[in-house]
Amino acid sequence: MRLQLILCDMLMLPAERLAAESPHEIIVSDLSASLHVEPLPLRDRIQEHIDRIEAEDHEVDAILLGYGLCGGATAGLVSKRVPLVLPRAHDCVTIFLGSRDRYQLEQESTPGTYWFTEDNVKRGNAFMGALLGSSERSDGVKATYDEYVEKYGKENADYLMEALGEWQQHYSRGAFLETGFAPDDVALERARVETESRGWRFETVLSDMGLIKRLLDGEWNDAFLVVQPGETLVMSYDDDVIKAVPVQAAGT
Amino acid sequence: MADFERLQAAVEAGDRGTAVEITQAAIDEGIPPLEILDPMTEAMGVIGDRFSRQEIFVPEMLISARAMKGAVALLEPLLIGSGHKPDKVAVLGTIKGDLHDIGKNLVAMMLKGANFQIVDLGTNTTAEEFLKAAREHSADVIGCSALLTTTMGNMRDVTAAVAGADDLPDLRVIIGGAPVTLEFALDIGADGWAPDAASAVHVATAVVETARGERDIEGVVHPEALAAVTA
Repeated sequence: MRLQLILCDMLMLPAERLAAESPHEIIVSDLSASLHVEPLPLRDRIQEHIDRIEAEDHEVDAILLGYGLCGGATAGLVSKRVPLVLPRAHDCVTIFLGSRDRYQLEQESTPGTYWFTEDNVKRGNAFMGALLGSSERSDGVKATYDEYVEKYGKENADYLMEALGEWQQHYSRGAFLETGFAPDDVALERARVETESRGWRFETVLSDMGLIKRLLDGEWNDAFLVVQPGETLVMSYDDDVIKAVPVQAAGT
Repeated sequence: MADFERLQAAVEAGDRGTAVEITQAAIDEGIPPLEILDPMTEAMGVIGDRFSRQEIFVPEMLISARAMKGAVALLEPLLIGSGHKPDKVAVLGTIKGDLHDIGKNLVAMMLKGANFQIVDLGTNTTAEEFLKAAREHSADVIGCSALLTTTMGNMRDVTAAVAGADDLPDLRVIIGGAPVTLEFALDIGADGWAPDAASAVHVATAVVETARGERDIEGVVHPEALAAVTA
C-alpha cells in the first residue's frame, strides 16, 4: 500500500524510524505540536493536508493520522476519496504508552502528570503558550510575562502568571517517555530540571511503540478507527473515544 | 458624587486600584452597597459578552474579575450588615481526575458577581463530594468542569447520582470545559451546558429559575435558549 502519514511532531522521532521498517510505502508530513494551544487551527491544518493529499496523490490508499482526539481537535475531519486511519486515543500519550488501558491506569494512579517526550523537549514545545510557569523559568514564559506587563501593568501581569500557572500546584509528577530509539540524555536532563524546578517528582516511563507500529504496518484492528469517505470523525463519549458517522448525521 | 461610569470602565479594563478607590469613595458618601455593585455587575456582563464574541480572552476576563473582586470585598461587610445575601447557591468543582481549574475559577468569580453563593470544592471532585456539599449548603446547582477528554466521562457519575437522589428533586447540574459539547451534555442528562464562563452565568441562572418555576426553559440550556433568557 501507499500510505500518507500526517502526524504531530511529538511523534516524529519514533514514527520516522518505524515508517522505515513498514512493509508499506509511507510518506511522512508533520505539523507542529504548538498548534495544540488552539484546537481549531490544528483541525484546519490537518484538514488542509488531507485535502491537498487527495488532490495531488492519486496513488494513495489511505491517509494515516498520528493523532488522537487531542482535545477535540480531530473531531470533524473528513476525506473525500480515501480512508483516514487513526488510533482510538485521547492524545499522543496513549500512542506512546501503547494502549488506552495503560494510559487510564497511569491517569488514575497519578492524574497530575506532565508528560515529556524527546521531541517536545527538543523542539521547545515542552512548556508552551498556555502552560505558563514562573517568569524565571522556561523559554517563552518570560516573553509572555513582558507582554502582560506592557498590556495590563505589572500588578495584573504578576496576578496572571500566578493564576494561569496555578495548575502546576496540582500536578505531582513529570514523566519522561523513553522510546529506546535514541537515548537522549540532554532531553531527559532538561525534562528533569523542568520537573524538579516545579517541585514535582521525576520519573522515566518506558514507551510501547506497538500502537504506532501497527498503524504504520497496516494492521488496523479494533484499537484503530477507519473513517471512510463520506464519513466524519466525532467523539464517542465512551471507551472507544472516537467513532465515524455519515457527514450528514454529524450536521457538518 | 461617585463616578459610576468610571467604576464600570475600571472593572472592564481590569484596573483594580481605580475600582477599589471609587468604591471606597462611594461607600464614604453613604451610597447603598447594592447601587455601587450595579455598575460592576454591568461591567462583567459587558466583559462576558465580549469574551463570548472572542473579542477578548482569558487574561482580560481574569483581570476584570479580579478588579471586581477587590471592590466587592469592601462591599461585602455592608451587604451582610444590611441583611442582603445571595439568593442562589452553586457548588463548583473540576471533575474527578481533572486538575485544571482556571475555567472553573473564572466561572466562580462570574457567578459571584451575579449574586450566587459559591461553594468551591476545588479540583478532582467525585460525585459523592458534589452531592455531600449540595446537601450541606442546600445548593440549587452543581457546576462541573473538565479540560481533558480523558476525564469528562466522569461527569456521568454526577448526573446519575443527582438523578438518583430522591431528596434533591430541585438540584440541577450544569457542565462545561474546553472539550465538553452540548451533545455530550444531552448524552449524560445534564440540565445545562455552557460554551464559556460568561454563558455559564446565564445558564446557571436559567436552570435555577426554571427549577423554581420562575421561568420556563426546559431541558439542556444552549445558546438558542439563552437568547430567550437574556432577552
